[in-house]
Amino acid sequence: MKTFADLGFPGRLIAVEGLDGSGKSTQIYLLKRWLELQGLKVFFSEWNSSALVKNATSKGKKRELLTPTTFSLIHATDFADRYERHLVPLLRAGYLVLCDRYIFTAFARDTVRGCTPEWVRRIYDFAALPDLTFFFKADLEVSLNRILDNRPELKYFEAGMDMRLSADPYESFRIFQGRILEQYLGMRDEFNFVTIDANSSIEPQQQRVRELMTKRIDLSKFAMHIHSRSPFLTHAAKTR
Amino acid sequence: MPPKRAKSIIAKGQPRRFYGQGIPGVDLTKLAGKLIVVEGADGSGRSTQIERLVQWLEGCGHATVQIGLKRSTLVSEDLDKAQEGNILSHRTMSLFYATDFADQLENNMLPALRSGFMVMADRYIYTLIVRDLVRGMDEKWLKNIYGIALAPDAVFYLDVAPEELIERNFAKNHALDYWESGMDLGLSPEIFDSFLKYQSLVAARFKDLQATYGFTIVNGNKSPDDVNLELRQNIERLLESH
Repeated sequence: MKTFADLGFPGRLIAVEGLDGSGKSTQIYLLKRWLELQGLKVFFSEWNSSALVKNATSKGKKRELLTPTTFSLIHATDFADRYERHLVPLLRAGYLVLCDRYIFTAFARDTVRGCTPEWVRRIYDFAALPDLTFFFKADLEVSLNRILDNRPELKYFEAGMDMRLSADPYESFRIFQGRILEQYLGMRDEFNFVTIDANSSIEPQQQRVRELMTKRIDLSKFAMHIHSRSPFLTHAAKTR
Repeated sequence: MPPKRAKSIIAKGQPRRFYGQGIPGVDLTKLAGKLIVVEGADGSGRSTQIERLVQWLEGCGHATVQIGLKRSTLVSEDLDKAQEGNILSHRTMSLFYATDFADQLENNMLPALRSGFMVMADRYIYTLIVRDLVRGMDEKWLKNIYGIALAPDAVFYLDVAPEELIERNFAKNHALDYWESGMDLGLSPEIFDSFLKYQSLVAARFKDLQATYGFTIVNGNKSPDDVNLELRQNIERLLESH
């Protein structure tokens, strides 16, 4: 599998991964704001957010209709829609695309739910790898507390209640998220995750993320140009 | 023919199998019923034949359940909406259909088979695979996804010439369906020509898949009575062999 840079795309895809409550959404939001304030071309895309598929997913979740297989397939449908409609065209146009969760979320979750790893991976084999993947590694207790601080109850699928691991949602969350954490750790080297210590407070984490971004990606290439200087237009401009 | 007495249809011959990874946690030996698939284009007589087979099977004392594409509780409505707008990519549609199939497989088909029902499928994964192959999708990718499917006990493909399909569709609706004519492929600006071209492509792909999946090809150009007789003879043989 190749990254977008390997494939010659002018854009770069940056993904964040981690458990629910690891703080990754906060971090990617801050990263987005920082890039936007520098006047760079930025697009943000969230897991499970495609308009057409969302309705079916939320129906499935509300009525607890989803099985491991349909859970996996419906998320793949959502991903394919976003990938082909937004991610690929924007990466062709030289954008910095930020993804709150990417294919590794499916690899981890669906496998824990009992789908075979090969089956899941082959479904997603049309997708290129991110150019940079941040893995926010938080202890289970830390992520559980962060979730509970924001809302009184754990969500059914978030706690893995569909897997009947325990009748107690908190216990179920611990077991389920613990297994997902194992999956992430197993993928860390294979997919070159950059691990961020997500137990610490927000500011030092964000500082580390911004440092790494600057080091790994030449951000000056992503400035918003008003007068058709973006990389995908250069060729047309030359031939004219 | 007088209705026969119900008899046990527990499989003893070929062991049950999934085509690939299957559905996690399913005990295949508990699936006592039979899965019978009828494939064919719109106008091939599929629905008529299934209706008659269901009557006949129930007359013989077999409980039956019918399934088909785009009938899942989970996504059928949204799939309809997506098709109307024609805005989803082939890959997205493909995965959406796979979700619809998986939902019915787990929530209708497998429970019915466990209870010893005859499950009559109005189309199955083959139509889904063929449609995508014609649209240039990768065969290995599709076969991996549909590795979740249960291998049926019998698959009948009603083979009808495209010209005959046109006659039948006009006799019924006076119109050709956009998708059944493959209009999204841009084969021809005219729906009539597009239908002929598309259905020939589909038929050729079905014949390719026959080698892998071993369908029984039934000449659907014959009269409905003759087709039904052939189907019944095949199904009787299947039920007697167990």
